[in-house]
Amino acid sequence: MPSNPNRRSSQIGKKLLPWLDVLAIGAWGILLLKYWLTNKLNLLINPNYFGLVIAAATGLLVVSTFKAKELLQHRGREMVTNIQHLSLFPPGWGSALLLTAAIFGFLVTPQVFASEKALQRDVSELLGATRVKPQAFRASVPPEERSLVDWVRMLNVYPEPDRYQGSKVKVQGFVIHPPELGKEHLLLARFVITCCAADAYPVGLPVKLPETSEQYPPDTWLEVEGQMTTEIIAGKRQLTIAAKSLRKIPQPKNPYSY
Amino acid sequence: MNQFHNGMTLFLSLLVEAMPFLLLGVLFSSLLLFFVDERKLAEKMPKNPLMGALIGSTIGFLFPVCECGNVPVARRLLMQGVPAPVAIGFLLAAPTINPIVIWATWTAFRDQPEIVILRVVFSLLIATIVAVVFSFQKDLTPIVQPAIARYLKFHRPAEHKHRFQSYQKKQQQADTPSLLQSGTYFLGTGQAMRLETAATAVASPAFSDGKPLGAKLRLVLENTVQELRELGGMLTLGSAVAAAIQVLAPRELILSLGAGPITSVTAMLVLAAVVSICSTVDSFFALSFASTFTSGSLLAFLVFGPMFDLKSIGLMLAIFKPRAIFYLFALPALLTFLLTLVLNLYFF
Repeated sequence: MPSNPNRRSSQIGKKLLPWLDVLAIGAWGILLLKYWLTNKLNLLINPNYFGLVIAAATGLLVVSTFKAKELLQHRGREMVTNIQHLSLFPPGWGSALLLTAAIFGFLVTPQVFASEKALQRDVSELLGATRVKPQAFRASVPPEERSLVDWVRMLNVYPEPDRYQGSKVKVQGFVIHPPELGKEHLLLARFVITCCAADAYPVGLPVKLPETSEQYPPDTWLEVEGQMTTEIIAGKRQLTIAAKSLRKIPQPKNPYSY
Repeated sequence: MNQFHNGMTLFLSLLVEAMPFLLLGVLFSSLLLFFVDERKLAEKMPKNPLMGALIGSTIGFLFPVCECGNVPVARRLLMQGVPAPVAIGFLLAAPTINPIVIWATWTAFRDQPEIVILRVVFSLLIATIVAVVFSFQKDLTPIVQPAIARYLKFHRPAEHKHRFQSYQKKQQQADTPSLLQSGTYFLGTGQAMRLETAATAVASPAFSDGKPLGAKLRLVLENTVQELRELGGMLTLGSAVAAAIQVLAPRELILSLGAGPITSVTAMLVLAAVVSICSTVDSFFALSFASTFTSGSLLAFLVFGPMFDLKSIGLMLAIFKPRAIFYLFALPALLTFLLTLVLNLYFF
C-alpha cells in the first residue's frame, strides 16, 4: 500500500518539532554566552545587567539540555502533551522565530552607534546636556583626569560655564558635525547607556578648533587637550573646550559610558 | 545599510535585555504550578470585584517580575480560575508595584520623591479601576483567546472541585449503590466508574495531587519550554517592531512636542508605547527626558509604559482577543492622560 507522503512528513514534523525547541532555547543560551565571552555584551546592555544575562544564558542551556535528555530517554514513546496547550501560532512558529532571531544574532555583529544616530536627536538637547544622572558625578577628580561624561555630569550640577574658565581638559570622544555649529567648531560626544542600546543617548561638549573642522570627519575618535572657555553657540552661552591639540585615536574597546 | 545595522543592534539589545526577565517570569510561573496550589489560591481570592482588583494589583509585590514576566503568570492565574479582576489587576499593576521597580525608580528620581510615590499610587488606582470595569464581563469567552475559553469552559477548577466533593459527600451519606446514579459508566474493571467522575479526575491539572517528584519536575520543564517558545516568539516579533519604529520614525518629531502640558503627556504616552522598555529600567530612560519634558508627562511614561507597549501586545495576544487588548490599552491610556494632565495643570 503506498503511504501518503503528506502524512509521513507531518509525522516527521511531529518528531522534529520538540527538537526545534531544544535548538532555539539552546541557541539563545549560546548566543548570550558568546556576547559575553567576545566582549560584545557591553555594546548591547549596561554592565550592571551582565550577571543577569549570564545567569539567563546558563538557565536557558540547562532547560535546553534537560529537554534534550528527556527527548532522548523517551524516544519512540509518544510524548505526553501538556494539557494547557495554547498557541496562536501554528506549531513550531514560536521556536522558529526565536531561532531566526538567534541566527541573526550570530550573523550580525552589534554595531557601535555613531554620529548619524546622534544627529537623529535634537542637537539643542545635545548642547543642553542636562540628561545625565547627577548622583554619579565625582568632584574630587582633578579636571584634566575627568572624562567627557564626568564633565557633562559636573555641568549638570553646576551649570554656570564661567565656573570652569581656564580649567585644563583632556577628554576622548567621537566627532559630530551638527549643522548649528560653524566650521571652527565640532561636537565631541560619547553615547551613554543606562539600560540597553535602545536607550543609548549621546552627551557631548563643543570643541573650538585651531583649524577648520573639515580635517576631522564625523565619527573620528579624538583625544582633545585644551582649556575650558565659554562661547556663544546657537544663541546660548555654552561651556566649550578650546583645543590646543587634537590626536586621532582608535575607537576604544568600550565605546560607551554607563 | 547603516540603518539596518542600527535596527538590528536595537532589536538584539532589547532581546538580550528582556531574555533574563522572560526566563525569570516563565520559571517563576512554572514553579508556581509546583509549589502553590493555585486552586486553593483561586478559592481564597475574594469574589468582590473591588477587593479582588485591589488584591490582584498588590500581589505583584510578592512576585518581582517585569512586564515580560507577568503575562505568563497572569495567564496561569486566569486559567486556574482566579477571578478576572484579580488577574487584570495583576497584569496591569504587577510590573510597577514590586520592590525591584520601586527601588529603581527611587534611584533615578531621588530628588523628586513625589514621582516615585505618585507612580505607585497612580498605577494602583488605574489598575484597580480597569480591573473593576472588567469584572462586569462575567463570561470571559468573548474576550480571551478561544483556546483559553475552551480550557476555562471545561476546567473550572474551584467550582468543580467543590461540586465534586459535595457530590462525593452526598454519595457517602446516602450510601446509594453508585449504579443507581444517573450518568454514563465504565463497567468491567471490577467496580463501575462514573464517566463524569473520571473526566474530572483526568482534567484537573496534575500538580497538587501526590504525583512523584520526577513527574512533577518533568511537567515543570514541559511548561517552561512551552511558555518560552510561545512568549519568546511573541517577544521576538514585538522587539522587531519596536526596533523598526525607533530606527524609521524621526525622533525629533516626538521630542519637539516636549514642553506643553497636553502635548508632552500625549508624546510621552506614545513614546511609552513605542519604546517598549522593561519596567525595571524604564525610570532611567524617563530620567533622560527630565530636562525637556514636564513632570506630569514623565509620570505618564512611568505609569502607562509598564501597562501597555508594542512588545506586550504580542505577549497579551497569548491571553486576550484584540478587542480586550484595545480596552486594556484605551482605559489605562485615558486614565493616565487625565491624572497626569491634572497634575501638570494644577500642581507641578
